[in-house]
Amino acid sequence: MVTKNLMYGLLLQCLFLTTLMAHDIHAQVKPIDKTYVVLDKSEWQLQEIFKNIETITDYKFVYPEDILNNKPIINANKKRQSVNDLLVEIGTAANLKFKQVDNSIYVGERSGKKEIIQIEIEDVTVTGKVIDDSGEPLPGTSVTLLGTTTGTVTDLDGSYTLSVPDGSTLVFSFIGFVSKSVAVKDKSVIDVVLSEDISSLEEVVVVGYGTQKKENLTGAISNITAEEIQTTTHTSLAQSLQGKISGLQIRQQSGAPGDLLTSIDIRGFGSPLYVIDGIARDGGNEFQRLNPEDIESISVLKDASAAIYGFNAANGVIIVTTKKGSKGAPVFQYNGVVGIQTPTEMPQMANAFQYMQIRNDANVNIGQNPFLTKEELQNWQQGGPGYESIDWYNETMKNFSMQQQHSLTVNGGSDNVRYFTSLGFLQEDGLARSDAFKYEKYNLRSNISVDLTENLVADINLSGRFDKSTGPSFSAFDILRGTISSLPSNQPYANGNPNYYTDVRDGQSFNPLALSDPELVGYNESVTKQFRSQISLTYKFPFLEGLSVKALGSYDNTHIMNKSLNKSFNLYTYDADNDTYIPNTLRSPSSIHNGNVDNNRTTFQAHLLYNTTVDERHNLGVTLVYEQRQGWGRNSALSREYQFYTTDQVDMAGTNNMRNSGIESQDASISYIGRTTYDYMGKYLIEVAARYDGSYRYHPDRRWGFFPVVSGGWRISEENFFKDNINFISNLKFRGSYGIIGQDAGAPFQFVPGFSTSGGGGYEFVNGNWTVGARSPAIVNQNLTWMESSIKDVGIELGLFNGKFNMELDVYQRDRTGLLAQRNVSLPNTFGGNLPQENLNSDRVRGIDFSLEHNNMIGDFQYGIGGNFNFARTMSVYVERGPFVNSMDKWRGGPLERWNDIVWGYDLEGQFQNKEEVVYAPIQNGDLGNTRELPGDFKYRDANGDGIIDGNDNLPLFWGGNPKLHFGLTLNASWKRFDMNALLQGSGNYSLRFTHAYATVLWADGNQPAYFSDRWHKADPYNSDSEWVAGEWPAARRTADVGAMYSESGAWRKDASYLRFKSLELGYTFSPSLIESIGFSNVRLYVNGHNLLTITDPYVKSFDPEKTEGGLNTGWVYPLHKSYNLGVNVRF
Amino acid sequence: MNLIRKIFFIIAVLALHSCGDALDLRPMDKLDAEALFASEEGVQVFMANLYSQLPIEDFAWTRNGFNSATLNTIGITPSNQTDIAANSEYSHLIDGGGNFSWWGYGLNRDINLLMETIPTLSFTEEEKQVLMSEAHFLRAFTYFALAKRYGGVPLITSTQSYEGDVESLKVPRSTEKVTWDFVLEECDRAIEHLPPGNGSSRRATKWAAYALKSRVALHAASVAKYWDKAPLSGPAVDQNLIGMDASEANRYYEECIKASEAIMNSGTFSLYLPTPGSPGEAAENYRKLFEDPSNALQEAIFIKGYTEPTSGHSFDFWFNPNQTSDGSPHPGRMNPTLEFVDSYESYSNPGESAPIVTTLDGDVNDYGGYDPNKEYLRFDTPYAIFEGKDARLWGTVVLPGTEWKGKTIIIQAGYVEPDGTGTIETNTSIDVNGVTYYTFGAADWTEYSGFSGIQAANMSRTGFSFKKFLSSTPVNPNLGQSRNDWMEFRYAEVLLNYAESVVESGYIGNNAQATAAEAINSLRRRAAHTVDIPLTLENVLRERKVELAFENKRYWDLIRRRDFHLIFDSYQRHGLKPLLDLRVNPPQYIFIRSALPRENPLTFPQHFYYVSIPGVGSNDLVQNPQY
Repeated sequence: MVTKNLMYGLLLQCLFLTTLMAHDIHAQVKPIDKTYVVLDKSEWQLQEIFKNIETITDYKFVYPEDILNNKPIINANKKRQSVNDLLVEIGTAANLKFKQVDNSIYVGERSGKKEIIQIEIEDVTVTGKVIDDSGEPLPGTSVTLLGTTTGTVTDLDGSYTLSVPDGSTLVFSFIGFVSKSVAVKDKSVIDVVLSEDISSLEEVVVVGYGTQKKENLTGAISNITAEEIQTTTHTSLAQSLQGKISGLQIRQQSGAPGDLLTSIDIRGFGSPLYVIDGIARDGGNEFQRLNPEDIESISVLKDASAAIYGFNAANGVIIVTTKKGSKGAPVFQYNGVVGIQTPTEMPQMANAFQYMQIRNDANVNIGQNPFLTKEELQNWQQGGPGYESIDWYNETMKNFSMQQQHSLTVNGGSDNVRYFTSLGFLQEDGLARSDAFKYEKYNLRSNISVDLTENLVADINLSGRFDKSTGPSFSAFDILRGTISSLPSNQPYANGNPNYYTDVRDGQSFNPLALSDPELVGYNESVTKQFRSQISLTYKFPFLEGLSVKALGSYDNTHIMNKSLNKSFNLYTYDADNDTYIPNTLRSPSSIHNGNVDNNRTTFQAHLLYNTTVDERHNLGVTLVYEQRQGWGRNSALSREYQFYTTDQVDMAGTNNMRNSGIESQDASISYIGRTTYDYMGKYLIEVAARYDGSYRYHPDRRWGFFPVVSGGWRISEENFFKDNINFISNLKFRGSYGIIGQDAGAPFQFVPGFSTSGGGGYEFVNGNWTVGARSPAIVNQNLTWMESSIKDVGIELGLFNGKFNMELDVYQRDRTGLLAQRNVSLPNTFGGNLPQENLNSDRVRGIDFSLEHNNMIGDFQYGIGGNFNFARTMSVYVERGPFVNSMDKWRGGPLERWNDIVWGYDLEGQFQNKEEVVYAPIQNGDLGNTRELPGDFKYRDANGDGIIDGNDNLPLFWGGNPKLHFGLTLNASWKRFDMNALLQGSGNYSLRFTHAYATVLWADGNQPAYFSDRWHKADPYNSDSEWVAGEWPAARRTADVGAMYSESGAWRKDASYLRFKSLELGYTFSPSLIESIGFSNVRLYVNGHNLLTITDPYVKSFDPEKTEGGLNTGWVYPLHKSYNLGVNVRF
Repeated sequence: MNLIRKIFFIIAVLALHSCGDALDLRPMDKLDAEALFASEEGVQVFMANLYSQLPIEDFAWTRNGFNSATLNTIGITPSNQTDIAANSEYSHLIDGGGNFSWWGYGLNRDINLLMETIPTLSFTEEEKQVLMSEAHFLRAFTYFALAKRYGGVPLITSTQSYEGDVESLKVPRSTEKVTWDFVLEECDRAIEHLPPGNGSSRRATKWAAYALKSRVALHAASVAKYWDKAPLSGPAVDQNLIGMDASEANRYYEECIKASEAIMNSGTFSLYLPTPGSPGEAAENYRKLFEDPSNALQEAIFIKGYTEPTSGHSFDFWFNPNQTSDGSPHPGRMNPTLEFVDSYESYSNPGESAPIVTTLDGDVNDYGGYDPNKEYLRFDTPYAIFEGKDARLWGTVVLPGTEWKGKTIIIQAGYVEPDGTGTIETNTSIDVNGVTYYTFGAADWTEYSGFSGIQAANMSRTGFSFKKFLSSTPVNPNLGQSRNDWMEFRYAEVLLNYAESVVESGYIGNNAQATAAEAINSLRRRAAHTVDIPLTLENVLRERKVELAFENKRYWDLIRRRDFHLIFDSYQRHGLKPLLDLRVNPPQYIFIRSALPRENPLTFPQHFYYVSIPGVGSNDLVQNPQY
C-alpha cells in the first residue's frame, strides 16, 4: 500500500538523491600507501596539489580554509609515488599532518614532532533491508553515519550496502517516518522497520479545493487516513469513524441490515455537507455506503474554513478523497472479513407466570375481581401441558446473524498511466429466523490518471454502487413489537401446527412469527443504483512554476427502486370442539407498490492555482474556482390492489383502487470561489477565502450570497528564540478563524405566487367522483433567504518531544441568524393566513474540542494512544413569539439565554411506603386527589409548597435526548509482527425516557419486561387484607388505572451517559520469508470485535444508550449489534 | 501543444454553454389564479378545498379535530364525551377547553378571498350570484361553528393584509347576539340565490342553507332561553360577548320554525321508508339509512361523501365488535351506555323511557352488583330482555347474543356457579354436567366481544357494542378505509328542530302544535310505533336523543340546553352485565345493572359551556370566563 506520506517522501528523497550520491563510498576504500599518483609538474600551491590528487584518486581532502594561509610552495617529485609518500613530503614542507578516514583525508596543523600520517581504515561492510510497518520495502531511505552526511540510499527493494568504520552508528531516515538509529557493533546485517510518523508535520491535508501542509493549517480541520479508519469493521463507514475524530458526533440508531440510520454531526451543528473527490454529493447515506478500501483520507472541516463550500456548509464539511494509482507493477490486495453479530442488549420479557401474576395484580390492586383464579395462577407457575411459557423473541429471532465483506483492489501504473481499481462486496443478514432481512452491496471504482503530455494530467474517476435491502412487508419495528408485546401464555402456532400461525394480537401487535414470514405477508425491497463520474484535466504552465489550471466535469446519477408486496394473510384460532382452524383475515386486500426515484446532477468546475515562494521567505498561494451545479430529478409511485393474489407483478393485480403519483424537480447553483494563503517562513500564517454563491431557490434580487472567511496562525515554535531555548516543544501553534457561511432555508420558489393542487383538501361533489382541491396561494415571500452562520474558532496545537506527544484544543462558537419562523405567532390569530416563514430566529452553538495523542517506540514495541472529546451546547438567541402571559410563563417557556434540550419534570422524592403516606401527601391527580395512588407509587416534591403537585411544580431537571459530550479513546500497539487497535467511545450529558412497553406496566395489555416483576404487591393477591411487599417498581395496574405514576421524573427518565468498548482488533503479519514462496508479498490475519462492552445506567443499558429514536422512544427499533469478525489482508 | 489547444477549446465551449440563466428555474407544482378560475371546473377545484375544510361534524370529527379519520384517536368520539357511550379503554371525557376548539379563521380567509375573486370572474351575473350565495353558506357554516364554541367572535368579512402594522389587524369580539344574528343573516344571503337541488346535490343548495339556518336558530334560541341555568360572570359576560337575554329566545325559535317549515313545505323531502311492517323491518331500515344514505335521497338534505382512493373514515376500524373486526387491531371502542339503552321507549308503554328491568322487584336504581340472594329475572337468550324495545335500539346497538355480520356477538360478564357463587370478569371456566362454561362466553378471546381483561381495550365494558353507520360487509382493516357517506343535514333533524322550537316557544301559527306533534310521531311510526304520543318537551327531547343518536348532536344538545353540568355532577355511567346462571338447567341469563368498571366520576365544570379563546396573548381578545 502506497500511502500519501510515502509518495511525498519519495519525491523529496529523489531531490536529495544527488547530494547523497556525491558522498557515496560504495567503492572499495584503498589505503593511501597503496594508491599511486604521478604528478605532471613539480611546483605546487598546496590547494592546487590537493585538488589534483582529488581528481586522480577517490580521496577527498577535508580542511579549514585558513590552514592553507602562509604555506610555502611545494616542490614535488614527478615520478610515480604513493600518496602516502607524497603527503609525507608535503607534511614535512608545510608542517601539516594528515589523517585518512575512509576516502577522506583530514588536514591539520602539525605541532612538534607528531606523526605526519594517520590511517584509519578499519571499515566493515553492512547490508540490510528497510521496510515499513506493513512489511513494504522503503526505497529511497537515507542511511547515514551518525553525525555526518556520509551514507547511501536504499534501492527499490529497500536494500542497502554500506562500508562503515568500526564502532559507528547508522541513522535510517525517511520523510514521514520516525528516524531510527542503530549501532553497528559487530553486525554485518541490519534490517530496519521504520514506523510512519503519524504526527509528521509534513503531512498534507485535503482542504476545500486543494491541499495544504498540516503545519500550515489555520482552520480547525481534522484528518484521518485509511489505516486509522480500517481498524473498525462495520457495514457503515460512519461507524468506522466514531470516536476517532474530535468534534465528529456519530450515533447509530438502528442495526437493521442496510438501514444505516446513523446520525452524523460535526460539533453539534447539524448534518454536514459531504464532498467526495471534490464534488458535493448526496450526504450521509452515500457516505456511509462507500467502500472503505477506496478511501485514501477523510478531512473534516469543523470551523469557518468550510465557508469555501458556501451554501450548506454551515454545519461543517466531510471531505473524502479516494485512492489513486501509483507507478509500478500492479499490486493486488484482497481484504476479506467474515463475522457474526448479535444484539448488544435485548430486555428479557416476562414469562407466562410473571405476566399472569402482574395481570392479576392489576385487577386486585384496583379492587376488582382477580383476573384469574388462584388455581389457574398456580397452573401457570407450574407450567405443563396447556400452560407453556413462550419466549417470543427466541421464537422469532436468531442469536446470531452473519456478515461478510470482501474487497479486491489493484493499483499500479506505467510511465504515463496510473490506475486504482477496486471491487467491493458486502453482505449482511438479519436476525429473523425467517431470514427475511438481508442487505447486499457491490461497489466498483476505477480511478485513472493519464499524463497526456509532460504538463497535462487527466484524472478519470468512475464509480458505481448497487445495493439492495430486503425485508418482509412488516417492518422490523412491527416484528420486534410483536416479540415484546405478545403474551408468553399464547402459542405461536394454533394447536401446535406450524401451518397455522396463531391469531395473536397482544399489545397492539400481531404474531411476530407471521409478520416475519415474507412468504405469508409479502416483502419490501429497495434497490439503489448509483453512478458517479468525473473527469478533470490539470495543466501545469511550464513557463511559470507553481501555476496550474484545472477543469473538472462531473455527472452523477442515482436511481432508487422500491417495491413492496403487502399480502393479505390469515391468522388462526383452533376450535378444539370441531378440530378446525378458524381463520382471521388480516390486511385485506393484498396490494402491490412500486416507486421510482431518479436523480441527476452535473457539476462543472474551473480552477486556477498559483503557488510561489518569494525570496525564500514569503510563501504565497492563490486558488480561484468557478463552479456551476445543476440537478434534476423525477419520481413516481404506483400501487394496485388485488381481488385475489396472483403474482408479485403490478400487471397481475386488480384495477381497483389504483393509485399513482409523480413529480419532477430541478435545482441549480453558480459559485465563484477565491482563496489566498500566505506565510512568512512558516511562522506567520494567514488565509483569506471567500465564496460568492447564487442559488435558484430565492428571489432573483436576493439569491446571491457572499461568504468570506479569514484565518491566521502563529507557529511560535518556528521562532529562533523559541527553538534555541525550548527544545522539548517541537510544535506550538496558535490559530484562529472567523467566517460566515450560508444555509438554505425554506421551500424553494416561495417568491413565485400561485395555487397548488397538492396540499389542498379534496371533496366528493358527485357520488363516486373525487375532486382534488387547490390550495389557496400562500402569501408570496420575496424576502426569504438563507440562514447565516458566523463561526469563530480559536485553537492551539502543541507537539512535544519531536511529535511523540501532540495536543490540539479548539474553542468555538457558531451564531446562526435567519432561522425560519413565522411572524404570525405575534399576529392576531384571526388573520387567518399563515404569514410565510421569514428569517427571524437565531441561535448559538458553543463548544470545545480537545484531542491528545502519544506515539512511541520502545525497542520492537510501538504504541500509540489518543483521546478526544467534544462538548457542545446550543441555545436560542432570539425566538419569534407572542408576549408571555405572566412571569411564570416566561420562566417556563422562555428559551432565551438558556441552553436548549432541557426537560422539565417532577423532582422524585421516592416511593410511598404505606397508605398513610399516600393520604397525607400533596395531591397528585387534581380532582381525583390521591385516590389512585398506592404504596410503592412515586412521590414527587411539592416544589411550590401549595399542597398540589401540578405543572407548577415542574423543574428543569434533566438534559434532553441529545448528548452534549462525545468522547473517544484509541489505543494502538505493535510488537514485532503483532498489532493491536482498540477504541473506546462514549457520550454524556443526556437522558433517555422510553415509552410504551418498556416503560409502562402492561402497556396496551401486552407482555412486559421481566424487570417489572420486582414490584410492590400484596403478599397474597387473593386476600385484600394482606401486607404490602416492597419492590423496585410501583404496584401493577393497567395504564388507565394509575395516578401520576408516569409523570416526567427521575423514575423514568434516566441519565444515559455511556462508555463503550467500541472496537478491538488484533492482527498478525506473516514474515515475508514464509509467504514469498507462495507469491504473496504481505499477509495479515486479524480478528476484531465491535460494541464489545458498555458501561451505563443499568435500566438504560438494556436498550442500548447509543440508540435513540427521537419522538417515539419505544426502544422497538432493530437492535444495535455486537460483532466478532475474522479477516485476512493479502497483497500480491 | 496541439493537444492542449484542443482540450482548452472543448472546455471553453462547455463553459460557454453552461453559463447564462441557469438559476432562473420555475416551480413545477404551482398554478396561476387566471388559469384556475378560467372555468367552472377550476372553480370547483378551488371549492373542493373550501368544502374539505368546512367544520362538518361527521365521522372524522373527533377529539383530534376535523378530518382526523386517519389519526390514532383511540376511537374516542364526541359521543363518548356524553352520557350515551363510553370508550372501552379510557374514561377520558369532557375537557371543554381544548378538545372542541376550532378556530376557523383560516377557512374564513379563504372564503373571503373567494368572495373578493367572484366579481372579477368572467361568468354571467347569475352564475356569480349563485357562487356568492354559496360563499355565504360556507361563511355561515364557519361562523356557526365558531359561535357555538366561543360565543361572540370577531366578524371578519374581508381578507386582511399585513403591511407591518399588527394593531390594525386586531378585530374585537362581537357580542354573542350580534354573532348569531350575523350567522342567520349569512344563511339568508345563502338562501337568496342558491338553487333548490335535492339530497343528491353535494354542493350547497337552498334547502341545505335552510337546514343550517334551522339548526343555528335553535342553538341560539336555546342559549338565550337557558343561559340562566348555568350563568357565568366576568368581563366577557359584562360585555355581552357571551350570553343572551331570555327575551331573545322566541325570536330565534321562530326563525328556526320558519326555516324548518320551508323545508317541510318544499315537497322535496320526506322520511325514508316511513311505514315499516314490523319492528324488525324498522330496525333494518333505520340501519340501512346510515349504511348508505344514497339509498335515502328523499331524507338526505346535504351529504358529505367518502370515496376511494384517498377519502375514508375509520368507523369500521374502531367500532366493530371484537368478533367482526375484519382484522382491525383496535375494534370494540364504542360502548353505548345502559342509560342510553334505558331511554328508548317500549312498544307497550308509549311516551315513556323503558329502563331495563333485571330483578323481580323491578328496582332499576340498584347498582350494587351481583347478590346471590336477590331474585333476578331469567331469560333464555342474552337479548330477550330487550324485546319490545324501540326498533331503533336494535338498529343502533349490537345487543348481546344478536347476529352481526354473520356472527353471534357474545358479550357475557361471567357466570353464576351452581352453588350461587358469582364468577364475574375473572378469566376461568367451569364444568357443569359435563359441559365447559367460560366466564366470557367462549374459550378464546377472538370468539367473544365483552368484559374480558384479555384484549380489554377491544372488549365492551358496558355490555353493548355499536352498529349504526357500520358496513355490513367486510372492510379493509386499516385507518381511513370506511367509505360510507355522512348526512350532515337530514329531514328527521329538521322535524325535531321544528318540534322543539314549537314546544319551547309555544308558537301556534300555521297549526304549528299539531304539525309538531305529527313530526315526532312520524319519526316514531317509522320506528314501528303504532300509538301516537302528545307534544311535550320530554317527548321531543327523548325522540331527539334516540333518533339522532351518535350523529354528534347529543354533545351540542347538552351544551345549548345547559344540561351538561346537571347530568355530569360526579356522575358515573352504567352498563349491563349479562351472566349465565348455572343454578338452573338448562342455564339461563340474568343481568346486573352496574357502574362502569375503570371509570372516574365525571363532572362538567360550567365554564366549559364556552371554549377557551386561543391566542389571547396576541389577538387582544377578551377571554371567556375561568380560562
